[in-house]
Order: sequence, then structure tokens, then C-alpha cells
Amino acid sequence: MTSADTTRTAAVPRRIPMLMLGFAALLLCVVLSLALGARSVPLGTVVQALLGDGGSRDAMVVTGMRLPRTLVGLAVGAALGLAGVVVQGITRNPLAAPTTLGINAGAGLAVVIAIYALHLTRPVEYLGFAFVGAACAALFTLTLGRRAGDLDPVRLVLGGTVLQLVLVSWTSAVLLFSERTLDEARFWLAGSIAERDVDVLVPMLPTLLVGAVIGLAIAPALNTLALGDEAAEALGMPVGRIRLAGMVAVVLLAGSAVAVAGPIAFIGLAAPHLVRLVLGNDHRLLVPGCLIAGPVLLLSADILGRLIARPSELEVGIVTAFLGAPLLAVLARRTAR
Amino acid sequence: MTVRSQPSELGPSDVRVRQRRRAILIGAVCAAAIAVLSTVALSLGEVDMSAATALRAALGFGDQGEVYIVQEFRAPRLAAALLAGAGLATAGAVLQRLFRNPLASPDVMGVTGGASFGAVLVLALGASQSFIPLGALGGGMLAAVLLGVLGWRSGLPVTRLVLVGLAVQAGLAAAVNLMVVRFPRELAGSAVQWTTGSLYGRTWPEIQGAAVACLLVLTLLYLQYRTLAVLDLGDESAGTLGVRVSYSRLALLVSTIALAALAAALTGPIAFVALAVPHLVRRLVGPPTAVTLAVTGLAGATLLLVCDLIVQHALPIEGLPVGVVTATVGAPWLLILMLRESSPVARRTA
Repeated sequence: MTSADTTRTAAVPRRIPMLMLGFAALLLCVVLSLALGARSVPLGTVVQALLGDGGSRDAMVVTGMRLPRTLVGLAVGAALGLAGVVVQGITRNPLAAPTTLGINAGAGLAVVIAIYALHLTRPVEYLGFAFVGAACAALFTLTLGRRAGDLDPVRLVLGGTVLQLVLVSWTSAVLLFSERTLDEARFWLAGSIAERDVDVLVPMLPTLLVGAVIGLAIAPALNTLALGDEAAEALGMPVGRIRLAGMVAVVLLAGSAVAVAGPIAFIGLAAPHLVRLVLGNDHRLLVPGCLIAGPVLLLSADILGRLIARPSELEVGIVTAFLGAPLLAVLARRTAR
Repeated sequence: MTVRSQPSELGPSDVRVRQRRRAILIGAVCAAAIAVLSTVALSLGEVDMSAATALRAALGFGDQGEVYIVQEFRAPRLAAALLAGAGLATAGAVLQRLFRNPLASPDVMGVTGGASFGAVLVLALGASQSFIPLGALGGGMLAAVLLGVLGWRSGLPVTRLVLVGLAVQAGLAAAVNLMVVRFPRELAGSAVQWTTGSLYGRTWPEIQGAAVACLLVLTLLYLQYRTLAVLDLGDESAGTLGVRVSYSRLALLVSTIALAALAAALTGPIAFVALAVPHLVRRLVGPPTAVTLAVTGLAGATLLLVCDLIVQHALPIEGLPVGVVTATVGAPWLLILMLRESSPVARRTA
């Protein structure tokens, strides 16, 4: 244990340049997200606009549309990345992800019902419903995944998949009854951070922050958990409580992310794997690393979506699904022999 | 959920006789249920008629209007339900046995997702509605090819297959989603309708085509089915017994996926029939034999027929796709099954 600990501690400073590199990538994504789109804005104008010189039309695009969108992307990406690494940590399953818990499908059904019954039209009005729907679905899957007081990874994945099939079929049923709902909901259901104002983000900040604090706080414990439950218990770790805290963090983080941006798949799955490649398996680095990798992935997918379909754009959720599906296939090939 | 080895299939015994009797009994019950329910399906609707009138109308006798309603609307829908139910359940049973895993169903392996993709693509290209089944068939086969290519690395173990299947399904679902978002709203509506699985508005030409193809594939499957018992002995023993293992497995796989894709082409991806019915039959009848396979087909047809009757007549809501009911009925059942047994995948990686 001690020798493992020292190597880990020694590894931390060596990884710092990689963390800096991550920050640089994040910064680059932010700049590109502000500058690129249907209308390309020169960097100088971007900087001027951010400094408050907002007269020109370019500047208005930057501060009025791209800045909120980028902020939303940062928050959602960080939340999904963090939720992903925590889910994988507490289930010890490299294929677990927030999506696996039925979070997206739960939020989708709740929002679709809300649009159908209450005639809502703006993403900010969907927030509460999406969050509650996501949380309920996740809690249901987590309850299914429990066996003898513990989370069985395979049951978790299976239960989540079954739940998802059902929720999606109910969602389609509602969509079929009302063309208005279909027309209203299909864009939200694709998952997007376009046209989100900061007022969508602000109400979710408390849950995001609490989730992030819990996630970061249990990072060291996830290392111990990785040794296996018995070993962790022998080392005096309250395994059950750590896992419960992790679940709470995942529900808060992923639930808020879906509420803000709609169902976006694969960020939570991909971020931890990417970071693991660069930073290794130590959760004390892995967890903060995912805070950076999540937004990098989400913003780059969003930027890609803007560039591919110019002058229109692809919803970021669709881009991540197209990029994520092959990734899942590769992971599956590597993990399941 | 373990697939028991069945020496019984290779040599007669008391157990085998008892099992066969039971299978025949349950098969007869299903067949009787189908006969009764079919009559009900033909006689209920906007214009209710007596069972006798409906049957006469089905044969072309009686009131012109009634004959038209029964022959052009109710009978094709009934035929589609029976055909798709039997096809999906049989495909599920063979796949589950082939991979020795209850999860290896076309739903999970992306085949039905591929069918959705193909069908919606046909809608997107603005081709005639009659090309939808062809598109679905192509999409299902495409998914199967993707699955094979991505999943194959010195063998095709089940855990990997399930995971790669989920990936294929996710990618194809994203493609469907993309088209739904880009569509004008009427098209988006028909896409959602189709991808939920519905029996509404089937026509005879579609069904005749699908029926001929299904029967062909079913015959092929039954011809190959006996080799499954040999494959169950393990690859080496099967090889010694003169079975070309890889070839037989591939042939079975292709026929099964074709069957599932055909069924999905007819009705859309109806959830859980392929997954749940084989389980149910295994519980009631016991280990798989050729007779059991036939019972599974009958049970699938019965189930889909029941669900379709529920959708049409027992619910206060009009126009619900049958897939919603099968999902709602099938999922809790599967979950209960899962909760009662230990994790099915992890313990048994082929």
C-alpha cells in the first residue's frame, strides 16, 4: 500500500504538464466556439466584443449568442465528464455512463409529457421536468442494479437498457398523439446547446456545484474502491456510503446537464477513457481531468456540428452520438474478450 | 437462465416424451387461442359484426361493405401480427440458443434498430411507401454486417456481441434521430410512428412478399436447427462429429437475422417479443427442441395478436402503436426475470 501510495504521489507532479495541456485545449475550444459558426468572426473582434465593445453585428453574435452557448457547453461538458468518471468508479465498470442509467430517456419522457400537457415552448421551462425525469430514471436503474446491498455492474447496464427501451417507446407514443409536441420536442430531444441563454444555466448552478463538490471529494476514495469492495472494506472504507455519495453526485450532475442541454450521449463515457489514456488510473487526477476533458469533447463536437452543416448546423447530441458509437464499439472490443 | 444441455434431443427417453407432450399441449393451446382471437380481430372494429358474419366476410360472402372491411383492413393487419410475432419470437429463440445467452436478441444486437434506420432512410429519400419494407430489410442486414465486422476478433463472444450491438444500435439511432430532426413535421411523424412498431395500414402485397420470404427462411432454419444440438456439445466435439462448426453457425446466424429483419420490415421494430417470448416458452416447456421452436413461434404470434387487440380495442386512446404495449408489458417481465436470477452476462462469457 505504502509503495503504491508513493508511486502515485510521485506521479502527480509529472502529470502536471499534461493537465496544462488540457487547459490549453480547453482554452482553444472556447476561443473557437466564440469565433466559428455560420458567421466567422475575426479573433480581434471576438476579443473586442468580450471587452465590452459590442456595437457591431459580429460583436452581438459573439456576446449575445456564442458566449452563453459556450458557457452552457462548458458547464454541461464538465458535468457529463465528471458524472461519467464517477459512475465508472462506483460501478467499477468501464462501460457505464450516465446514459446507461436511463438519464437521457427519463428526461426526454418528462419533457415530452410537459410539452404535451402544459404547452411549454422554451428550454428554460423544461428544466425542472427534465431534471426530475432524469433523476427518477437514474434512481430506478440504480435500485435495479442493487444486489445484496451492492451495485452489480451487469445488472445496472441491463436494467438501464430495458428501462430506456420502455421510456423511449412511451416518448414516441406521446409524440404521435400531438404533432405540436413532436415539432416542439424533436429539437430538444436531439440534444443541443444552441440558443440556450444563461437563464437556462443559472437555475441549475446549485445542483451542478453540489454534484461537483461531492464528485471531487470522493475522488481519492474511488482509488480504494478500485481495489475491490472487500479490500476497500478491509482498509476501513465505508464502501456503501461512498457509493451512495457517488450516486447522488451522478444524479445531480447528469440530471442538470440533461436539463440544460437535452440528451447528449457518450461524453460521459468518452471523457474518462480519454483522460485515463493520458493521466493514468489515479482518480485524484482522473476526476479533475474529466472536468477538463468533458467540455473539450462537448465544445469540439458542437463546433464540428456548426461547421459540417454550414450555414445550418447539426445538434451537438447527434454529433456526439455519431462519434461515440464507434468509440463504444472499440471499447467493447477491448474490454470484452 | 442457463441453457441446459439436452442429451434428450439426441436419444429418446421418458423425459423427452413428457416434454414433447407438454410442448404439444401448449402449442395446441396457443393455436386455439390464435383461432379464437383471430375471429375476434376480424369481427371487432368501427363496424362491429358477429363472429359468423366476419368469418363469412373473410371468405368473400355476405355484405359487400363488410367483405371489403374484413378483407382489406382487418385480415392484413391480423396476418401481419401473426407473421411478425412468430418471426420475431423464432429469431429470438434461435439467437439465444446460438449464443447461449438470453440477451442475444435482435433488439439488443441492433438488427431492429438497423431496420428502423433503413425504413426511415426510405422515407427521407422520398421514395414510395412500398419501398419501406425493402429499406428495413436492408437496414437490418446492414446492422448485422456492422455487428459482425466490429464484433469479430478471433471469435464472437456474447458479452462483446451485446456491447457492440448496443454501439451499433446507438449509432443507427443517432442517424434516425438526425433524419427526424431534419424532416418536415409530417415526415417526422411517420418516422416516429414506424420506429415504434405498428401494425396499422398493412396491405396485402407487403404481407404476401414478407410471408413468402418468412416461410422460406423458417424452412431453412428448421432444416438447420438440429445442428444446434450438436453445436451445444462444444466446438471440438461438434467438429469430431463431422459438423462444419463455423459454417453452420454462420448459416444459422444469417437465416435468423434475415428472419428478424423481415419481421421488422413488416411491422417496424416491435420491442421485447424476440427477447421475452423464448424465455417464457423455455419456462413452460423446458429445454429447446424443434418442437419447442415451433411452440415459440406460435406463442410469439399469440402475444403480438393479444397486444394488437389491446391496442385497438381495450385502450381508451386511438392510434397507439403496438410496440408501446409490447414494451410496457415485456419490460417489467424481463426486469423481474433479471432480478430473480444472477447476472446473466458476466457469469457466462463464451
